[in-house]
Amino acid sequence: MSTSQVLTANRLTDGIAVWYDKAGNWNEWIGRSEVVHTKDDAERLEAIGKKAYANNEVLDVNLVEVEEIEGQIRPRRLRERIRAEGPTIEYMI
Amino acid sequence: MTKIWNESGFQNQDPWVIETEETKAGSNEKPILPLNIFLEKAQAGETGLGVLIQPADDVKALAPHLEKIALAAVSFPAFSDGRAFSHASLLRERLGFKGEIRAVGDVLIDPLPLMLRVGITSFAVTNPVAIKRLEEGRLPGIDNHYQPTARKSEDPKSYSWRRVS
Amino acid sequence: MYRYDEFDHTFVNDRVAQFRDQVERRLAGDLAEDAFRPLRLMNGVYLQLHAYMLRVAIPYGTLNATQMRMLAHIARKYDRGYGHFTTRQNIQYNWPKLADTPDILADLASVEMHAIQTSGNCIRNVTADHFAGAAADEAADPRPYAEILRQWSSVHPEFTFLPRKFKIAVTGAKDDRAAIQVHDIGLHLKKNDKGELGFDVYVGGGQGRTPMIGKKIREFLPEEDLLSYTTAIMRVYNLYGRRDNKYKARIKILVHETGVEKLAAEIEAEFNELKNSELKLPDADIQAITSYFAPPDLLPRAEGWANLASWKKADPDFARWVDQNVKPHKHPDYGMVTISLKPIGGIPGDATDEQMELVADLAEEYAFDEIRISHEQNIIFPHVALADLEPLYRALKPANLATANSNLITDIIACPGLDYCALANARSIPVAQEISERFGSPERQAEIGELKIKISGCINACGHHHVGHIGLLGVEKKGAELYQITLGGSADNETSIGDIIGRGFEPEKVTDAIETVVDTYLGLRLSPQETFLEAYRRVGQQPFKTALYGGAAAEAA
Repeated sequence: MSTSQVLTANRLTDGIAVWYDKAGNWNEWIGRSEVVHTKDDAERLEAIGKKAYANNEVLDVNLVEVEEIEGQIRPRRLRERIRAEGPTIEYMI
Repeated sequence: MTKIWNESGFQNQDPWVIETEETKAGSNEKPILPLNIFLEKAQAGETGLGVLIQPADDVKALAPHLEKIALAAVSFPAFSDGRAFSHASLLRERLGFKGEIRAVGDVLIDPLPLMLRVGITSFAVTNPVAIKRLEEGRLPGIDNHYQPTARKSEDPKSYSWRRVS
Repeated sequence: MYRYDEFDHTFVNDRVAQFRDQVERRLAGDLAEDAFRPLRLMNGVYLQLHAYMLRVAIPYGTLNATQMRMLAHIARKYDRGYGHFTTRQNIQYNWPKLADTPDILADLASVEMHAIQTSGNCIRNVTADHFAGAAADEAADPRPYAEILRQWSSVHPEFTFLPRKFKIAVTGAKDDRAAIQVHDIGLHLKKNDKGELGFDVYVGGGQGRTPMIGKKIREFLPEEDLLSYTTAIMRVYNLYGRRDNKYKARIKILVHETGVEKLAAEIEAEFNELKNSELKLPDADIQAITSYFAPPDLLPRAEGWANLASWKKADPDFARWVDQNVKPHKHPDYGMVTISLKPIGGIPGDATDEQMELVADLAEEYAFDEIRISHEQNIIFPHVALADLEPLYRALKPANLATANSNLITDIIACPGLDYCALANARSIPVAQEISERFGSPERQAEIGELKIKISGCINACGHHHVGHIGLLGVEKKGAELYQITLGGSADNETSIGDIIGRGFEPEKVTDAIETVVDTYLGLRLSPQETFLEAYRRVGQQPFKTALYGGAAAEAA
């Protein structure tokens, strides 16, 4: 497996998009995510995700593909980039 | 494990078993038959029968045989499959069936008050949360209703479509 | 408008308590997501890209100032200071916490509002003509019937787990402004020769993946049979609608696969059994509900005529706003005002809490406390004296609520799209903003005339693109956004689904493509009086296809 992946979900309490970080927490910022590169590690993350779902911490758990560019974690899919960065429009003034 | 509940509480001596290829009713048990088998037996004159209405079945096929039915079971293979609500409504309101109608399948606590309103009178419950809530006697229904249903409730002396439990 | 009685208050409060219990169980882990999901959906709570989303019902688009203030309060207290008005006359909040939703619903209940059945496989908000009760071409106000249907469909036990969502729209005017032919059930309220009221009933309209125009299955259903006939339709749908495929589960597919005559016959057969049941509507009940919708006491305000003329003369911007955003009212001294939520370059349909507060104040002062939300995502004051138009305009202008673009090219309908929505494939809002900026000049808009652009960020068509004069459908192709153009759609009396014109356009090319379409229209119209839609219906897609894709497209035709 040559892709990099991170584990993402939405928090149960407030629905906010979160990413599983290196400290083992669900983080609102993608920048600290644990990035996996092997199939085994991906499966490990998936198992963590399933457990967190069953534990009613998060919903809608998924592995998503990312690129690592100069230390930044950038999701490959536009949808996931918007999820990570927020709406691309300014809020009402 | 599956428990049988009605508004008098959990029933311990329930004899009914849904017959499948693998499961047949034992000596002290009574089979809930698939519709086609029920129709054969009913036409042959048997009585005291149990029948299972699957979502795609035509419940009106029971019309000539109501007095032969001891138990009509309506199936919720997934709780989101709402066809059994119509089956129960038709069975009560159109066919005039007065016997026991039982919900079987994916019976959960939150839809249960709705099942009572369409005339279902007993419930085969497997979900542990549902069993617990029923043991506590805490049904999550709302008493004010905006539509008449198969199960008659009180007239709140308001608009014609309103009822109250 | 309708006011809750004690029965309604008890119901909605019990519903809040019921949901509060469900949320507590969910947060405590006693209720799994699978079982909780339909329950939260039936209380309007979605999960979107960034957060939960709460969709609050605005029954048939009607609300008063107190309710609008509560919507502002919710935006402020529980959200990020704004809300989005939708194509089904509802409002959406994009950032509620699940744990707060019972409190939000309790606040709503205190002003006779709720979020019941705004999602889920159940009967949704019944929508209606946003000019109901004011329009000159109305046979009768459809909203009493929308209210009766709203009540009857609330927590209907038989129809709580339908194959899919179910949407009903009602209109009472000659011109359908409620898009009834693209609803699961469309009801056209009419008067017969004897002055009795009844409905032409349309079934199986809808947009989404397979857009279809509703079929009329019943001519002049007497008003007393409204609930029995609707029950018949719902029961047939509940029993026979497909449940094997989410994309083929709406009633329009059932109509298509069964055949309209056969389905109509099945519905009629069921209706005959229900006709004389307890579902028959007593005249007294219809009258009682109708009395809530009595029009306000509109006093003569004839001074408005002279005032208006001189105000318009003094201020061309004001004149433009009146000409575009004020439509004739039944009463000659009054007008129906559209408060545009489409400022040039803005987010279509969004309003801040401050704007909502201002609208509430102005509704009390100038509009008899009656506010509507149109399915075109604008706010309507249906009853404003012509004599009050100028002060109203002055008050709206600084709040960016006086854009004079009703029905013009910058009055764009757009779904939230990929910026918010978990279902979307592409963004719609930035596309709308760019088009709006490009065509923002009042002169350009006036030159183009009536032109409805509708943008959806995915095939679910919440932006109603199928019935846009110009429709834009955002898709994902090779990881990038692409926009397909449809032309000639309309939700009027001659409802039509737009024609797909050709291959899609990249985001940076969309606005130019729209400009090409507009220029083509301007070049071939018979006169400025021939609207885009009229011209399209006259000439068809070919000139536009050629303009967009070149001569090769003409040869391929």
